[in-house]
Amino acid sequence: MSKEKTIMITQTRNTSFTPRRTTMQPSMRRNQNGTRYRSETKLGPVAHTVLVALMITVLGLVYLTQATKTTAYSYEVQDLDTQISELSAKKSELEVQNARLTALERVKGSAVATAMTTPEATDYVR
Amino acid sequence: MQSRTFSRTDILAMILLGCMAIFVLRLFWLQIVEYDTYKEIARQGQQRSFTIPATRGEIYMQDKGTAVPVVLNKAVFTVFADPATVQEKDRSEIVSVLRDVAGGEMLNDVEAKLKKEQSRYEVLAKNISRTQAEKIKEKNFSGIGFSQGSVRNYPEGVLGAQVLGFVNTEGEGQYGIEQQLNDELKGRDGMLQSVADVRNVPLTLGKDNIRIEPQSGKNVVLTIDRNVQSYAEEALKRGIESAGATEGSVLVLNPNSGQVLAMANYPTYNPGEYYSVTDASAFLNTTTMVPYEPASVIKTFTLSTAIDKGAISPSTVYQNTDCVAVADRTMCNALRGLGGPTSMQQVLNNSLNVGTIFAARQLGDGQTVNASARQIMYDYFHNKFGLGEKTGIEVAEVGGYIYPPDSVEGNEVRYSAMTYGQSLSLTMIQVASAFSSVINGGEYYKPTLVAGTVDDQGNASYDTTKPLRRTISETTSAEMTNMLVTARGSSWMGRSDRAGYMIGGKTGTAETISSNGEYTQNETVATYIGFGGTDSPEYVIMVRVAAPGKGLNLEGGLHAGPVFTDISNWMIDYKKLAPRG
Repeated sequence: MSKEKTIMITQTRNTSFTPRRTTMQPSMRRNQNGTRYRSETKLGPVAHTVLVALMITVLGLVYLTQATKTTAYSYEVQDLDTQISELSAKKSELEVQNARLTALERVKGSAVATAMTTPEATDYVR
Repeated sequence: MQSRTFSRTDILAMILLGCMAIFVLRLFWLQIVEYDTYKEIARQGQQRSFTIPATRGEIYMQDKGTAVPVVLNKAVFTVFADPATVQEKDRSEIVSVLRDVAGGEMLNDVEAKLKKEQSRYEVLAKNISRTQAEKIKEKNFSGIGFSQGSVRNYPEGVLGAQVLGFVNTEGEGQYGIEQQLNDELKGRDGMLQSVADVRNVPLTLGKDNIRIEPQSGKNVVLTIDRNVQSYAEEALKRGIESAGATEGSVLVLNPNSGQVLAMANYPTYNPGEYYSVTDASAFLNTTTMVPYEPASVIKTFTLSTAIDKGAISPSTVYQNTDCVAVADRTMCNALRGLGGPTSMQQVLNNSLNVGTIFAARQLGDGQTVNASARQIMYDYFHNKFGLGEKTGIEVAEVGGYIYPPDSVEGNEVRYSAMTYGQSLSLTMIQVASAFSSVINGGEYYKPTLVAGTVDDQGNASYDTTKPLRRTISETTSAEMTNMLVTARGSSWMGRSDRAGYMIGGKTGTAETISSNGEYTQNETVATYIGFGGTDSPEYVIMVRVAAPGKGLNLEGGLHAGPVFTDISNWMIDYKKLAPRG
């Protein structure tokens, strides 16, 4: 009975736990995991090749995505640079306009200035 | 010998293998052996260098202590093409759009430039405005790019043209502050080296990208007050027209700091349209670049020297004669018939040449302007007052000359003539700076046009000024100030002054050198230098009026004096100076 049971177990579980206590190094500490999982699934050469090819493809895609993203950022940076330079140009135009409007010649020629008169006398408060 | 036979499959395999071997060898050749060559070709095709232009510093004048811009940068755009990437079907439309939008700013042969497919950079239009650039950008042509630049803009027009100068098409400052402070103003261009796409958009790909940020030029604040400058220019123009003269200059200084408040020249020009000037002499700042004989205004320095050395006092009396013998020459007064006992004050009042020769002789043995007297004069004129030497002002200037007493030219005749302003060659800025030291207590300030800087946020910071050296004692300065006030008050010009103020000055009428090398009174240059204030001098004004080649007899009192009076009376109001008493 016990033999049959043993055989059944062997058929349903294809993994085994190897106690490591027996081969345990002298440095192993107490309560340290002493078992090792060992898969008994074996991959054939085709599966290996496919897996490697898939990994390379994934890595390639990751690289491409990053490279494309960097390029997209370049365009964003360029857009921002363009905006900065356009705003600077607008600012300089406004500064020039402001300076022109407040220039002495313009102020002197304004209606307010031309309506002014020279005072006949000046009194000084001491 | 047994011959080996190959099946057709073997032969096919060998052919395929051979082909593969050829491919591998070719790829090896291209990718390994010729790696550097092809990498360089790819780099040249993909990588671009972009200059990031530095913003040129702006120039400010002052308006009652507030910095106001007088030279600004206006953004303009250059349209360029990369003909290799311009699509053939777009060429005619590009030309048409440029013609409509850029108009006169479009360069010649644009169509031919677009066809130069070997070229990667062709300029199509220059100096177009932002609005024009945006209209062209809207068309989204492939291979057409825009680079932003700037041109100088002068909102005040002709104001202070010779002080400011201009910037030429190469971006270099010419004349004035623009030239002298070109390195500080222009800053340093930056650079972007990067892989670019077909539209020349720099991409952040590649490990060889370089970005160096540009450094903007300094924004400079001048000591010039735009109101004083404007009034000085107007008064000078009025004075020149009234005298029938053709040219002239005005300097207004703060005698207590050396700061130049106005530096006016006539005729003038608009720096924004410098290319339309036909006579290049309009670019010259004659106050610093044209030395001349300032004539009798130099008597101020002769008397200052003699008083400071204790050789004379304002009340010293001598026997005046119309003429006096100096070595083998005879030197005379311009104003004759005033013979008899004459004080030094009267020498100044009546501008007596014989009187200043007497004063100079007192520096030596009392009989001649001997070597000792000449050495003292040179020490004061040249070493202390800085006459005949560049002042160090921040615009182009010339030194002029004063011959040293140990030179062949530095003889008694020359030094006797120098006592009343002949036989030396000085600029107005030298004379005005030295004169300031005579009436400010005896301290010489280096004349300056630069008051400080303005940062990017518009905050101005100002430099402080310190006197460079002492020229005369405070006592001598006080005596000379008094003498100059008395001299002006005794003349008809004093009647035009506002009552209650301390106004003093000295005239100068310089003979010119005729074609035969002799001094002639047929053509003279008028000069006036003076100061004003309530209890102490607040401003110094120097005026020069001339008409070269016109044969006009211009007098310091008659033709330059009124310009001084005009500006002086205006300065009292502008500076809100209250009268004494």
